[in-house]
Formats: sequence, structure tokens, C-alpha cells
Amino acid sequence: MKIPFSWLKKHVALTTTPNQIADDLVRLGHEVEGVETPRAAVKGVRVGLIESKIPHPDADKLSLLKVNIGEAEPLGIVCGAANMAEGDRVPVATIGASLPNGLKIKKGKIRGEVSFGMCCSESELGLAEDAAGLLILPADAPVGAEVGDYLELEEAVFDLSITPNRGDCMNVRGIARDLAADAGLPLADIDKSMIETNGDIAAPAVSVTAEQDCPVYMARSIQGITVADSPAWMQAALMMAGMRPINGIVDVLSYIMLDLGQPMHAFDADRLAGNISIRSARDGEDFAALDGRELKLNAGDLVVSDADSVIALGGIMGSEASGVTGATTNIVLESAFFRPARVSETRRIYAMVSEASMRFERGVDPAMVAIAMQRATAMMTELFGGSAGEITLCGDADTINSGRSVRCQVSRIATRLGVDIPVAADAVLTRMGFGVNRHEDRLDVAIPSFRHDVSIPEDISEEYARIIGFDAIPAVLPPLSTIRPDQQDRSIHDAVAGGFLQVVSYAFISSDEQRLFVAADGLDIALQNPISDAMSMMRRSPWPGLLSVARHNLNRQQSGVALVEQGRTYVQTVAGHDETNTMAWLMTGQTQQDQWHCAARQADFFDLKGALETWLSLRGLTGRFIADDAIQGLQAGQSAKILIGRTEAGRIGRVDGDIAAAFDIDAPVFVAEINLDKLPAGKQAKFVPLPEFPAVERDLVFLFDRNTSSDAILNAVKSGAGKLLTDARIFDLYAGKGVPEGKISLGIRFTLQDAKRTLTQEDSDAASSAIIAAMDKRFGASLRG
Amino acid sequence: MSEIDALKDRLESLQAEALAAFAGAEDLNGLQGLRVHYLGKKGALTEVLKGVGKLAPADRPVIGKFVNQTKQALAVALDAVEAELAVKAKAARIEAERIDVTLSGRKSGSGALHPVQNGLDELTAIFSQMGFAVAEGPEIEDEFHNFDALNIPAEHPARAMHDTFFLKDLQGDDGQPMLLRTHTSPVQIRAMKRFLAESGEPPLAVVAPGRVYRCDYDVTHSPMFHQVEVFKVDRDVSLAHLKGVLQHFLSAYFEKEVAIRLRPHYFPFTEPSAEVDIGCVFCAGKGCRICKGSGWIEVLGSGMIHPNVLKSVGIDSEEFSGFAFGLGVERMVMLKKGIPDLRLFFENDVRFLSRMGVAK
Repeated sequence: MKIPFSWLKKHVALTTTPNQIADDLVRLGHEVEGVETPRAAVKGVRVGLIESKIPHPDADKLSLLKVNIGEAEPLGIVCGAANMAEGDRVPVATIGASLPNGLKIKKGKIRGEVSFGMCCSESELGLAEDAAGLLILPADAPVGAEVGDYLELEEAVFDLSITPNRGDCMNVRGIARDLAADAGLPLADIDKSMIETNGDIAAPAVSVTAEQDCPVYMARSIQGITVADSPAWMQAALMMAGMRPINGIVDVLSYIMLDLGQPMHAFDADRLAGNISIRSARDGEDFAALDGRELKLNAGDLVVSDADSVIALGGIMGSEASGVTGATTNIVLESAFFRPARVSETRRIYAMVSEASMRFERGVDPAMVAIAMQRATAMMTELFGGSAGEITLCGDADTINSGRSVRCQVSRIATRLGVDIPVAADAVLTRMGFGVNRHEDRLDVAIPSFRHDVSIPEDISEEYARIIGFDAIPAVLPPLSTIRPDQQDRSIHDAVAGGFLQVVSYAFISSDEQRLFVAADGLDIALQNPISDAMSMMRRSPWPGLLSVARHNLNRQQSGVALVEQGRTYVQTVAGHDETNTMAWLMTGQTQQDQWHCAARQADFFDLKGALETWLSLRGLTGRFIADDAIQGLQAGQSAKILIGRTEAGRIGRVDGDIAAAFDIDAPVFVAEINLDKLPAGKQAKFVPLPEFPAVERDLVFLFDRNTSSDAILNAVKSGAGKLLTDARIFDLYAGKGVPEGKISLGIRFTLQDAKRTLTQEDSDAASSAIIAAMDKRFGASLRG
Repeated sequence: MSEIDALKDRLESLQAEALAAFAGAEDLNGLQGLRVHYLGKKGALTEVLKGVGKLAPADRPVIGKFVNQTKQALAVALDAVEAELAVKAKAARIEAERIDVTLSGRKSGSGALHPVQNGLDELTAIFSQMGFAVAEGPEIEDEFHNFDALNIPAEHPARAMHDTFFLKDLQGDDGQPMLLRTHTSPVQIRAMKRFLAESGEPPLAVVAPGRVYRCDYDVTHSPMFHQVEVFKVDRDVSLAHLKGVLQHFLSAYFEKEVAIRLRPHYFPFTEPSAEVDIGCVFCAGKGCRICKGSGWIEVLGSGMIHPNVLKSVGIDSEEFSGFAFGLGVERMVMLKKGIPDLRLFFENDVRFLSRMGVAK
């Protein structure tokens, strides 16, 4: 909301600068998004007295003026306007002056005559949007004075962001009230003078059946109006406040709304049929709104209607057909209190926001309904003629929000704020409109009708905090809570230590991406209002996100990436839905570049598997990798599920080539995921005495059938070698020349150790024989000769 | 010439010959050969000693002593030459093993935490040290926890400002719509409920990091981002305590004493509420482009927990009070690291990640 400084000053005689006011506003809780200075630029424009005016010898429409600006010699000025005469005082932009529209005044020659400046219109001074001729200043304007100073043109406009609880501050008077209370200045009285009514004009017939949603409704007829433009000062004020002038009637209502906070509406009386009723809409009832939209209303919507049709959606917008136009002569003015929740709900349903709805849904001052009606009537009849009839009033404004009070303890407010509550603060609260009665520790606060946001002691506490100022509240560390600190989850840190870059990708993906790794089973969770199709579904797999990141980087000259992400995946379940904590990895391309000591190498399955094994071992876990050709989106023969104990806790494998290609990736892509929620707690490392006696290492090389699983081989070694075996691993793998077709040469290195003695030749021979026998029995494998 | 004199002569010439040979040795291997040649079991000295048997018994001790002297002299000479050669050999080896220490070391690919993760880690660590327990909550929430329990009723204007993502295929208790949480504040409700179920009554102090979602996507808004929610409930918790915690944590996070400013504001779930500014970390409060000349930067929203929120979980607001605040992690990281654009966090460009992931 934009509030001009000059407008504020109509309500309170502020003496400080706009910047100081802006600071005060911030301290009082009104965020200042900016302070504009629309007319600060008017400098070098002076009051000039036209001493003579003769026609330009060479142009019909131009005049040659001699203008006295208080200097020794009058200025010769060529002027194109027609509305000035000798003896008039006009604004004269002197050479070097810059006007608000950007024009810079220079000495010029117009059709052979030199001009030493320019006489200005209102629009050239930024006071009106357009103007017919020069601005003629009053006859007592001091010749030579700066017009900016004389007209008090220096202006500041505060751009405020009013918080939703402060409906009372969505108008100039509300803001002025806070500033006045804070500064200890009086708030100017509102002009409440009654106007004379015309007994010949009947009060409108109004019936309210929706009293719940419209507890107060006031209407009055004004007849014989001549609609004209609103005066320049009002147009200027409205424009500075961010509203466009429309016509005199509408502008007066806008002005009163901005000034006092009461939104009103004017109907063209000649376009209404019969009585006015405020009622609940019928289901499917038509409403053609002022903004051009045609709505089908729902039962329960609050409407104002005449005998034929809906003429307004209560508190939100009038109808196109009943609106005031330039030709209007008779109007019905409406001033009412509409229930905030109703307005809020209706404007949400129809996404129809108006200046009126914003105020009604935050709560207007019920006491202002009648005052605004009087002010509007007075201004309209004064400006546009006509006479007003009596007011029809339905409901009683005094019953709304009246007589409310809060009782609280001063000591408790002090404790919760952490600062003493000085008695002086009570006076500020009183100036803000509250009735304050402090008796020792007891505090009774009467709440003014415009403060819908105040109802409990904490609200009073907030008012005191604003008054005392948050800066005056000390910073005190609270006593330490004694908690058992949580063990930090190291999942992502360990993964990153393994050489992976952590990424964060969006939790939503496209439905096409969803189908890459998860079959259509009806368990997706889709967004009702996605940003775009590409972000329309909650991901069930982390891999599409990682593939997108890989593509982004490979497209930017990276030769390979190693990525890891910790995040959730989302799926419907029988019970509702599940969010699974997941770790996901992706490796592709050259994860290391050519180096002086080694050549670059494409990442393969075992790079990623090794990373996972390390990661698991850091949590005290060992995974078993079981070949699984049926993992959707992964290449058969290069994919596996990962078992921890008997729990399937993850999968790993090479992304199907077509999928990788769809992400523009040529190199093999390897991905893995671990379900963190299924991961059992790892074993705590327990102390084991270090061996005193040396270990013995032996190598055996066998020929196996090509498809024998090394996991099975090592398991057979471990179960067949006897109790001295402490470790066995594959140290060599070879197929090719010297190895028969269909066979594979596999070197097994095993370690024997005894805690109580040094091993002998016989020990290792026995173990070797046992292993050889086991390999033969289990796999038909023989020692390679 | 007597036998004994002849023998002495032979020993003397042998010694002279050997010393000359030792001096001429080029390396330790050659020297070892000479040691064997002269002093070995079948060496030249042994050969000479074979003649001792022919001597008269009375002469034998004399010549024996002489032989020992020769042997001693050769051994000493050998050791001296050997030591000298060893020094030379070591120097030669060192020269041969010289490397270019400026070549790059062998590194395995270095990983890095995402800058948001770094921010989350730093923030949660600060609050952990201040006695706050870490809690998490679901990202898919119902309207009750995201709004109603936080004192944001359906018709409340604040509710519309949340740009909420609703989910199509889910329904919560009583058929209420499900949504992606718009803030981490629902964790307040869940953590308080859980905590009360466990221990009956406050105090409780919680830090709740997590992802949140808003249906808003432009240069300065991401539909997914991270927040940290911090709250404490106890007897006599005050706004002064809130200020104390804010002052301590913001200075700890930015690693310098930062100025803070609280501005009264409005949030439905706190009363009083305050927006918190810090003195601009870029211009030290002098006014710059980042702080739009004000010298202050808004960092978070805070306040005293609204009695209705405490009531919704069954905490007696007469007896207990609390403060709460929530902050945007991306924003905090951007301020600390001077990252100009929110979108960088979600583009995941590895050049950005590698650079920002290094400590400090």
C-alpha cells in the first residue's frame, strides 16, 4: 500500500523527515518496501508574472511573453498555451531546470524567436496526467519563489507492506494513528458534519436476509449528480497511492477508502430494478462482474441483488450492468460491514481480489461505516451537485467488535517480553485507541472496534513490545536444556569422503521420468498444481534426478561425474503413503583425467560397488550383491540387488543404454540406491587382541567354468579351509590365451593364522589340500598347471 | 736371508700391494672383492701364513705378532675406504633418486558436500551445542499440521500467501487434503506431541532441518528449498531469550559479531512476532546493492509461540511459554558465501559444487 507523506499530514502534524518516518514505521511493525520521491525533481521552476503577451510574428498559435521572475530583467519566453493573460502568475522552468517528465530546459529558438525558459502546465510539473493549458497560480504567489516550495511539491510516498492482521492500517488514517501515538501528537478529527438531506428523495428499500455475513448495511440515494472528473488534487493523491482515477464518483469512493479504510460502492440508481436485498446466492446464479468475468455462483455466496439480478458480490465487486458511468445522474451509495471470513472464502473461490475485498477480509472498522457514508455524500454533493436522501440502515454497527476487553498481568507481560513495562507505555497504547486501566499488577485493556487482531493477553504484550521497541529488549541466553545429543547421521559425509559430489535435486519429476525405473502400478503421488509437466510427480526413484544432473554436467565439458544424493522418495501405500530416506549414487565416464602416473579410465560396475562396500563397512555393515536381471531400467547381467543380512536394502547396476541415450549420455552409466530406513544398525566395533603369532599367506590358481560366481567360490573356500583361515580373496582373474575356452583362471590368496602358536608347513599344506578338494567337489575345478 | 726375514718381506710387500689396491677400489663391490682376496679364508694373507709352519718354533710367535699387525693394518684401511665409498655411494643413490616434487600428487577423486548440506550441518551443529535436539518430520503433510495447528485457519489471508502444492492421490485423516509442507513449522507440532508423549511436560528445545515446498518458481524462488525451524518451550521463556539465542547463533554462523535488529511483524503462529535483520555482511551496514542501501538484510522470521499453537498440542500456555523461528538455509548460505543466484543450488554444476564444497 502506498501512502503519500502529504496525505499523512492531513491526519497528523508530523514534523520529522520522510526518512525518519520510514524508520518509525519499521519500528512500529509496518514494513517499508521503499520511499519514493515523485516530485523531488522540481527545482529551478519559479513563480513568474506575465508582464506582456504578444502574438508570435511567425506562428499563429504561439505567443511571446515577457515574464518577471524577480530578476533585474524579465525573461523572453515563447509559449504555445492559450489560457494565460497579462498579469497571470505561472510556473516558469528556467534554463537548466529538469522537469519530472525528464525534460531538461535549454535556451531555444522557436520560429526565429529566442525563448529563455518554459511556462509549465500541471502535467509538466507532474501534478496531473494531462492538462489543457498552463497552471495559473494564485494572484498572491510570490514572484520569483521556487514553485516547488510554494506549492509544497516536495513529496514522499511510503510503499508499505501491511501485515494481514492489521486491516486497520490499510488506510492513511490507520497509519497516521500509529505514528501519532508513537510521536505523542494528536490525531486530527474526522469531519463528521452532517449534510442536509432532501426529504423528497426516498430512502432505498433494503432487506438483509444474510445478517450473519452482513451485519450492517447502509444505503442512500443521491439524485441529480453531474458526473465529472475529480479535482486535480484528488487525482494526484490517488495516483501517488497507486490507483488510477476513473470518474468523479468512483474517485471519491476510492479516496475515502484509502483515507478512512471503509470500502463503499455506488450503483447507478436508474440501472437498478426494484428493492435491494442482501442475501445468499442461489446455486448457479449468474453474475457478470465489473472486471468482465461471468461467474456461476454457489449457494452461500453473499450477494447484493435487485429484483432481477445480482448487482454485487458482497464486499468484493459490483456488476458491470449496475455500475456508475459518465452519464449517471442518480446513484445508490452503499456502505457496509461484510464478515471477513465470508469475503475471504468467496474471493478465494473465484480468485477475485479487489481493493475492497482486501480490506473486508482483514476486517474494517464497523464504526466507520456511517462516517464514511456521510463523508462520501458530502464530498460528492459538494463536487458534483445533486441532493441526498435519508439513509436506510440495516443492522447495528455498535454490536460488532464492541465492548471487548482483555485482562492481563503486567508482571506476566514483563516476564514474557523480558523487559519492564513502563507506565509511560500505557499512554501510547491509549493514543492508539485502547482503553487502558492499570491497577498495580492488573491491567484491563479495552479494545477499539478497529483492532480485529487483538483479543488475548499475548496481543497486548505485542502492542507493548512495539511501543517499548524491540531494540530496547535485552538479548539474554536462556538456561541450557539438558538433552542427550543425537548421533549425527554421517551417511552423506561418508559417501562424499568416497570421492562423490553431493547433489540436491527436486523431489518432483515428470511422469515419463517416473516410468523409467518404476512400473505403472497406480501408486504414484502426483501434484495437483505442479509448476510444469516436468515437475508433476513426486519421485519414486532418485535416479532420474541424478541422470539429469549428469547430463547437465556432461554437456558442460565434464568427462565424467561421480554423484551422490541423500533425499526422499515418495509412494502410495495401503496405509496412505510413505517417504523413504534414500541414498543414491551415479557414476559415469572418466571419473579421473589422464595423469602423469595413470591413464584416464571409464568408471565401471566395480568402481561403484567398491564405493558402496566402503560406505557400508563404515556403518559396520557388509552387503551381499546378488545378480538380478529383472531390475527395471538396468541392464541385465550388470545389475544386482544388495542384501544386508536377509533384507533387500538396495540395488546397483548399469543404466539401460536406451535410457542413458535419452539423457544424451554415451558412456556406461552406473547407479545405485540404498534404502536408509531398511538399513539395520551396524555392529559396534569390539576390541579383539592383536595376533601374537605370524600369519601365513598362500596362493592357489584354479580353472573354473566361466560363469562361476566368485562369491560362491570364496564362500566354499571359507567353509572348506578349516578354522585357521582368516581371509581369502581373488587376487588374479584371467581368461584368454593358455586358458581353455569356456574356462576362467582364478587366483585365490588365503591367509591362515592361529592366536596361540606359529603355524607349520603341515598346517598350510593341510589347508591347501582342503581347499583343492573343496573346489573340485563343489565346482569341478582343478589347479591350473 | 733367513726364513723369517723372507716371510717378513713378503708380508710387507703384501701389505703395500693391498693398501694400494684398496685405495684404487671404485665401489663397495670391488672393495668387497679385495677384502676376500687379501683377508679371506683362501686369501693372500692366509697363503703367506702357510709358510709359518716351516719356521723354527722360537720364531713363530714373532712372525705371528707381525702377521696380526699386518692383518690389523689391512682391516683398518679397508674400513676407512669402505666408509668413504659408502658415503659416495649414498650420494650417488640420492642423486639418482631425485624426483620432481612439483608434479601433482596421486589423488583419488575428491568429493564435496553440497553447499546446502554444509549450511545445514553448520546450523544444526550450532544449535546442538546450545542444547537443542534435532528432529525431522514428513514432507508430505496434512492441512492440520501445516496450517490449522499453527493457528492459520482456512479463511486466513496468510494461508493463501503460502503458495501450497497439493497432492492429487492422497487423503489425510477426515479426508483432509494432503500437501507438501510449506515450512518446517509443522515439526513444532509433531515434535511437541512426541516429546510430551515421552516426557509429559516441557522443557523442550528442538532444531528441525528439512526440505519445504512452495508453488513459486522464478529467479529468486525455488519450488523446493530448505529451512531450519528452531523452538524452545519452558517456564518463563521470553522474547529476551529469543533475542539472546538469535544474537548468539547468527554471530556463530557468520563467524563474527553481527548486529541484529528485530522488527515487529505478523505470523499467525507467533505473538509477538518479529522479522530479524542482520547488519549487512557485505558492506558492514554502510549500505550497498545487496541490502538495497539500508544496511540491513532480512534473514528470518521469529516470535513467541502463539498460545493457540501450544494449546493445539495440549501445553498449558499459562504455565509455559516458548519462542520459535524459522530460517531459509539457501539464503543463509548465499549470504555467508556470497552466492548471487539461488538457482545455482539446484543446477548442481560440478564446478560449483567442487568449489563450494571445500571447507571454508
